[in-house]
Amino acid sequence: MNAFAESASTFIAERPDAAARRRAWSIYESTGLPTTSDEVWRYAPLGDLGLERFEVPSAPATTPDSAFATQLSQRAGLVIRVVDGFCVSTGDLVEGVTVELDESSESLAGESLLDRYESDAFSMLNVALAPSATVIRVAAGVNVVEPVVVLNESTAGASFPRTQIVVERGASVTIVEYFEGGANALVVPVSEYRVEDNASLRLITYQRLDMSAWHIARTTGFIARDARLHQAVVGLGAHYDRSRNDAELLGAGASNELRTTFLGAGDQVHDFRTRQYHVAPRTTSTLLSKGAVADHSRSVYTGLIEIEKGAKRTDARQTNHNLLLSPTAHADSVPNLDIRESDVMCAHASSVGPLDELQRWYLESRGVSRDDAQRLLIQGFFYEMLSALPSELAELVESDVASVLASVAVVTS
Amino acid sequence: MSSTLKIEGLRVEVAGKEVLKDLSLTMHSGEVHAIMGPNGSGKSTLAHALTGHPGYRILDGSVTIDDVELLTMTPTERARHGLMLVLQQPFEIPGVRSFDLLVAAGADPATLRARMLDEARRIELAPELLDRFVNVDLSGGERKRAEMVQLGVLRPKFALLDEIDSGLDVDALDVVAQRLVAATTEWNCGVLAITHFRRLLLELTPTMIHVVSDGRVVATGGPELAVTLERDGYDIFRSTST
Repeated sequence: MNAFAESASTFIAERPDAAARRRAWSIYESTGLPTTSDEVWRYAPLGDLGLERFEVPSAPATTPDSAFATQLSQRAGLVIRVVDGFCVSTGDLVEGVTVELDESSESLAGESLLDRYESDAFSMLNVALAPSATVIRVAAGVNVVEPVVVLNESTAGASFPRTQIVVERGASVTIVEYFEGGANALVVPVSEYRVEDNASLRLITYQRLDMSAWHIARTTGFIARDARLHQAVVGLGAHYDRSRNDAELLGAGASNELRTTFLGAGDQVHDFRTRQYHVAPRTTSTLLSKGAVADHSRSVYTGLIEIEKGAKRTDARQTNHNLLLSPTAHADSVPNLDIRESDVMCAHASSVGPLDELQRWYLESRGVSRDDAQRLLIQGFFYEMLSALPSELAELVESDVASVLASVAVVTS
Repeated sequence: MSSTLKIEGLRVEVAGKEVLKDLSLTMHSGEVHAIMGPNGSGKSTLAHALTGHPGYRILDGSVTIDDVELLTMTPTERARHGLMLVLQQPFEIPGVRSFDLLVAAGADPATLRARMLDEARRIELAPELLDRFVNVDLSGGERKRAEMVQLGVLRPKFALLDEIDSGLDVDALDVVAQRLVAATTEWNCGVLAITHFRRLLLELTPTMIHVVSDGRVVATGGPELAVTLERDGYDIFRSTST
């Protein structure tokens, strides 16, 4: 029995405008899921996914927030709750911010999601099966002082959250997308961010799903003239954690700072992909990807910087560091450049190795024990990545990260 | 309480080459000693070997504080027995804050913040820099001041200073030296300063100067030795080191 296909069919039939959903579903059916012979999925243990076992819920389950989600909410100016992909609360009114649910399947890029993500089977499933997009819009010129938190909770089965954020001209906001729950579940989020002229979006994606979850996420930023997208993506949970984060620098002077980080334990796989696509002149991208793998976990980082002809004086930098915390853990790093303009600055660097022996010695020479020195260094690896967090959230998220790190064994060979 | 740091017959190898060949010296709490010597004489090797730097191999000899052998200890244990090295080029530790480092090193978190602020004031380090990750985005001078904040909090029995005067302007040098002099009375800290330059010694006023050449102490004397060195250079001592 194929619980997935049956429940998906029922779900689609019950939605008011099912045409786009049916088309997306048929694209998925005709192409099927990718396999590991497909280069971009070669590190994914897709043979173990068993998609047919996941049921698509017809309504959100009732689930309490975790203690951490509650604390996060208390520090936010606006809390949006999404359960099993269904937006169940759009939160209190905040001046200059609107939150709407949209079933139209339009991309923020000005085309349909179908056309935009046609080659990506998991995105097609999101187009077919997301209950709606949660669209957060910050009005032109508004500086939203307190952070907006989107709590994504998953209970069971397959869920397809979709978030679209529009920061209009000259506006600024900090948004946290948080993911939790998902025991034995599949979570396939699609997020889009449109940052209009001279606007600023600071975004933190914090993934703390259950260690049995499958998480296959895709985000795309569209950055206009002189606009700034600062994005931090932290992956701690999930059995298989796939996070693809793209940014398109479409207007002159646009900038993108992306920090992605993950911690692998047990037999986790973290599969991080990035694409910085420079279209306009004088655009800047700074990408720092750092990950740590312990036990038998493994990770892959694949990053592409793509610079179009005409994107003169682009400055694109990509750095990837991987920390091996056990001899049985494994990390791959695959940086790629595709440059069609000569007047650019472009650099990439990557490394894979154990903890820095001299940094550890420096701490020990102050009287810090070896265990504590290792803990501080690994913690520091992540704290550096979290420095984009506003101060009201930093302490909370740092202590949550520290609690996860405390259970990770460091084996030095 | 008075303590004694005793180095006897120390031989150390770096990258397959014997750099310290038979180095001995003794000092006590509250004293300031200086180690001077030309480049390559083994001064920095001494500092790193004493604190257990992983690139340095001990071939022979003994280093004790109050007759307790340090060379068989881990770097952590050596520090906890009262030895602290203040580095010429302190490491950047991204993501680690000084506060967390010092708590892990044994400082009392309840009073630590106030103590760090007090030390920063005394060493003229802008207090907001205390919240940065250890040595990240600090200038060379700020890093050395940040090291002195750690020293003031950790209060080691003996402080080893590895050419902290290099790259410091005169004002910064004076502030650092004054803090060290105060430490010799505040908690009876013994200060062993490795330096090329006499400038630091004008403020620090060492009781003893040890001239190191080719991995050995070739002369020991009072402050007048620094004057001789400045006038005549190290050459007159080299002949005695064969």
